[in-house]
Amino acid sequence: MLESTPKSQKPQTKALPDGTTIDDLIDLDMREVQLRVMADKDIYDLEMEKIFSKTWILLGHESEIPNEADFMIRDMGTDQVIVTRGKGDEVNVLLNVCPHRGMRVCTAEAGNKRTHKCIYHGWAFKTNGDFIGSPVAKEEMHGNLRPKSELGLKKAKVELYGGLIFANFDTDGQTFEDYLGDMKWYYDMLFCRTDRGLEALGPPQRFIIDANWKTASEQAAADGYHTITLHQWLGDFAGFNEGDIEASMMGVEVTSKTGHAMRCQPVANKFKMLAAGFADGSLSIEEKLELLPPPGVTKEMLSQLKTHLDDDQLALLVDQPPQVGGMFPNILVAFIYAPQPDGTILGLTSLHTYTPRGPDKLEFTNWIFAEKDAPEELKNKIRKVTTGLLGTSGMIEQDDSDTWPHMTRNAKGPMGREFTLKYQAINSLPRPKDWAGPAEAYDGFTKDDTQWNWWLRWYELMTAE
Amino acid sequence: MTAHTPTSQSVENTEKRVFFGTDLYNKITETLYEEAMLLDELRLEEWAEFLATDLIYKAPLRLSVQRAEQYKSIVHSMNHFDEDYSSLMGRIARLTQTQSAWAEDPPSRTRHFVSNILVWETDKPNEFAVKSNGLLTRNRFEEDRMQVISYVRNDILREVDDKLKLAKREIVFDMAVLGTQNLSIFL
Repeated sequence: MLESTPKSQKPQTKALPDGTTIDDLIDLDMREVQLRVMADKDIYDLEMEKIFSKTWILLGHESEIPNEADFMIRDMGTDQVIVTRGKGDEVNVLLNVCPHRGMRVCTAEAGNKRTHKCIYHGWAFKTNGDFIGSPVAKEEMHGNLRPKSELGLKKAKVELYGGLIFANFDTDGQTFEDYLGDMKWYYDMLFCRTDRGLEALGPPQRFIIDANWKTASEQAAADGYHTITLHQWLGDFAGFNEGDIEASMMGVEVTSKTGHAMRCQPVANKFKMLAAGFADGSLSIEEKLELLPPPGVTKEMLSQLKTHLDDDQLALLVDQPPQVGGMFPNILVAFIYAPQPDGTILGLTSLHTYTPRGPDKLEFTNWIFAEKDAPEELKNKIRKVTTGLLGTSGMIEQDDSDTWPHMTRNAKGPMGREFTLKYQAINSLPRPKDWAGPAEAYDGFTKDDTQWNWWLRWYELMTAE
Repeated sequence: MTAHTPTSQSVENTEKRVFFGTDLYNKITETLYEEAMLLDELRLEEWAEFLATDLIYKAPLRLSVQRAEQYKSIVHSMNHFDEDYSSLMGRIARLTQTQSAWAEDPPSRTRHFVSNILVWETDKPNEFAVKSNGLLTRNRFEEDRMQVISYVRNDILREVDDKLKLAKREIVFDMAVLGTQNLSIFL
């Protein structure tokens, strides 16, 4: 368990209008959070300010805007942004608010424009957000009180990581390196392991769930336990883990103060037919890679893994890859092995963001990825099978998205809101022997620790000055 | 490049139209009404009998793009549904044969409204291109409002032994961001 400062030593944190403090909402000793956080407008407003304006937010993948001047509209919390491609690798993230009168500058969801001209009064901006000018130049309609350099679109800091576009409006805040922290070692295995990297197979699915963004996001911080009950059909019916879902709850969960988490599940537990060779050490790394390449990686790409990953990463990727988890605040990472009717095992790669759309509404955004170098036939198969399991119609996630609205509704009742979410399944096992990776590593059956660490990060940001 | 939202059929193509009131048009219309009834009454195994074994069933994404770029408005590279016959059978079996398909347990109460049916002959004598507007109302639990989802369907219906079967369906939604928590129902 990560250390948290005892409550007695903490200054009282910012109060909500009714006098409640953040410390009233979360019991650090008992590991409980008041259900009220899942629907409360005041808490939501504070989250937009303290979390979504302060931390790095995933907006998409550079392969969605491959050409110069391509753009797409995305959301950073409740602020809408334009993501543009400049020259080469330059990607800009610009607040979609005209500095003149607050009109939305870009009204289309995607396209290609060298100049973004506001349809209201015609102020025009470059793909990097710089102000070009306003109509009727001789009348100086943008005045002379402010220089043109102050009249551009507001820019966020941007980082590309494995082609993923992250942005942050807090220009003096946390660096991206600190944001990933020691969990980077694990994410590199997923996002930065081949020469040409991943590509988004198309724009993301987008749909709306009547639930607070945290109902989905805290689950993404590696709630393995729910799989046994909510996704019972996976074992009973779909033959996942050869019917034994409970066995796939064993593994190592990695997490840190960043609030990120991944569940590393032994392949030998998941696929009993592979178990012997994987568990008893009789197979070499090369042989294992041949038998079960990581999700989306073809046999032709296997040699690339060695140039991008160190030996420890490669060994973990082969035996016990990080498969499901999240990144703070609102990202789900899924690298899933899906058994196919023909006996093969297909690797699926998907990312979701759960974008806040109000205290009781979220947008579920679902990207499906494949390695750029994967053959077209494999990409089509990945696209089809992922669509069948995850996202809008996904047979796994349709059960999740029907659960979160109930939690949000329950958080509104005068009794229900005082109730608590409990994270008291505490891992008591020592760190796994010879675990080569960084960060906290929890061995054995999936427990609540990773999710609790997510809440500790939430607490840290919500109480930050 | 056309600035129109592309569809599989054109109203100008009157030569191949199967007009309102003809026996074939009536038969196709009744088939779509029956299909809607089966779906609304949760008779999914019976609905399955309406599906051809080579069925392709897709719902492309929509993008909100400028009028000049309407040809980009329907995104075929990514879908809300990307199904074939066997994967749809899997969905039906999950809903009807397991005790834990929670997304539809308790089931949604739906009403499929089908209208604006236009029919064309195709190059194959027993296959017909059918365009219909769809309006789905959906209600779950004790919700005090209806979810409303509108779409157009571009179907290929195939007549085999006097029975019509669905050989192809493309569901084109009108929402770029779908206003429903999932598609655990069929359209």
